[in-house]
Amino acid sequence: LREVAMTAEEKFKAVFSPTDEEVAKWMDCAFEMAKEALNNGEVPVGCLLVYKDKVVGKGRNEVNETKNATRHAEMVALDQLLDWCRLGNQDARSVCEQTVLYVTVEPCIMCAACVCFFLDRAADIPLVAYGCGNERFGGCGSVLDVSSAELTRTGNSYKCVMGHRANEAVEMLKTFYKQENPNGHVWMSPQRKRRWLKKRKHTLVRFQNEHRRIGDVTFWKSETTAPVKMNNTFLFF
Amino acid sequence: MEPASKRRKGAACDPDSWTPYPVLSDEQMHAVELVDVFAAPVLDKRATSRLIGELNNRYPLTGLQHVKRVRSTKAEEGRPHSLEILLCPVSKVPNSDLGSLSIGCDGLGKPFVVKIPVRPALTRPQFELASKHWPTSFHEDKQVTDALRGESFSPAQKAQMHTYMSVALSAAQEGKALRLEAVGAVVVDPISERIVAVGHDCRGRHPLYHAVMVCIDLVAQGQGGGHYRLDTYPACRSIPTSVSELAQKPYICTGYDLYVTREPCVMCAMALVHSRIGRVFYGSTFADGALGTKYKIHTLRNLNHHFEVYKGVM
Ligand SMILES: [Zn+2]
Ligand SMILES: [Zn+2]
Repeated sequence: LREVAMTAEEKFKAVFSPTDEEVAKWMDCAFEMAKEALNNGEVPVGCLLVYKDKVVGKGRNEVNETKNATRHAEMVALDQLLDWCRLGNQDARSVCEQTVLYVTVEPCIMCAACVCFFLDRAADIPLVAYGCGNERFGGCGSVLDVSSAELTRTGNSYKCVMGHRANEAVEMLKTFYKQENPNGHVWMSPQRKRRWLKKRKHTLVRFQNEHRRIGDVTFWKSETTAPVKMNNTFLFF
Repeated sequence: MEPASKRRKGAACDPDSWTPYPVLSDEQMHAVELVDVFAAPVLDKRATSRLIGELNNRYPLTGLQHVKRVRSTKAEEGRPHSLEILLCPVSKVPNSDLGSLSIGCDGLGKPFVVKIPVRPALTRPQFELASKHWPTSFHEDKQVTDALRGESFSPAQKAQMHTYMSVALSAAQEGKALRLEAVGAVVVDPISERIVAVGHDCRGRHPLYHAVMVCIDLVAQGQGGGHYRLDTYPACRSIPTSVSELAQKPYICTGYDLYVTREPCVMCAMALVHSRIGRVFYGSTFADGALGTKYKIHTLRNLNHHFEVYKGVM
């Protein structure tokens, strides 16, 4: 495992760190979830929150059924953690302080940010372990590094370890996006994009800025290729 | 900046008292950076095109394609206007020494050093500054120019924006009355001019229920989805999208505008990217804000969706 980000300073509270074996064990569990999702035609991302060797949150992507684009696996798992604390009458803050987030793909900027300030600036999840990087959206270094950012008002930093079964995580995502895009996004080459826009010129009049109307379209380098794999990183959506 | 609620009491409901200012990318806001380049007077104007050809071969202006190779200087007393031609960047010449510069072209005067802009101008102010040093080409984005002049919106449009932001402000106040953070947001369909969702900060219910996140879920609820339980917050509401409208909708918030009283945080800004929001208008800035202050999420190249952001609304 390779460390990609360090906390700016050690937490003043007792720092706990799981052993490499523990990380590998829970990452394997997350991979099982991702595989299961793939077999069910869902986004193959597995996500676990583990507190004292217990799973307190388990998430899968729920964007399609909720029509809420923020229902990523991490967000769903964090909700479960809160429910778990409520049901077990546990203090969510002290649970979070010793909870590790395991996820097969680098969390996006949104999810990476909410790990920083999930409960409080002072008490939060100290470690995120993930498989492959996410060149499109990654918030732990790929696009932005929210994990080590000093957010003065809203959050604290946390540590990330990456690389466990990274290739496999990439392969699963590739397989999934090759099958079909779940949200009806269209993959277009620049040529096709131009033709597409020309046809829809009238719908653009009102806006001038084309983003307004083509926000739902994703453009790939080539129409025929599936998302590109690069350095253990998956390019999606 | 003053809290929006305070300012509101003063010159209330006067759309002329504020100007929405665009939040542009760092590249668009950069000061004009300059680089030293050798240039020389063209002694015989009829040789200009030959010189351009020869110099382009010998010293192509790699990475500086936005600058014109030749400029004409103004006529001065006793001297008609003349042409000057770029030779090559000073850094390309050993020891930056004029002596070791062997151009090998006939018809050039004594070389001298000029400063030219390193990057192409992206905005009119950049272009105007760059042009003071050396002529450059510029592909103007009229929308950006208007926005920078504060002329993007007509008085009628501003009045409309004023109305929407007022709704967001009253939502913020309802939240505040419940001892929640005073942030409110409104999602609007600019085509039908219809409010789609109104929300405020609901962190009493859940630590991640920021006003923007609430609004995103309310839009989903209006489309038959959604996940948040907001029944105890009556000020948070969504107006269902009709079936015919829904059929035309490519993705959740595509084409919608968001009005929010305070600049969104990183999570909320990225949630807006995921939801494919059309435009974002906000009132006050925020120290950890991600649409201008700490980050400019809406301008990140890697992301698959970008949107316009205006600040200082009301
Ligand atoms: Zn995410
Ligand atoms: Zn937020």
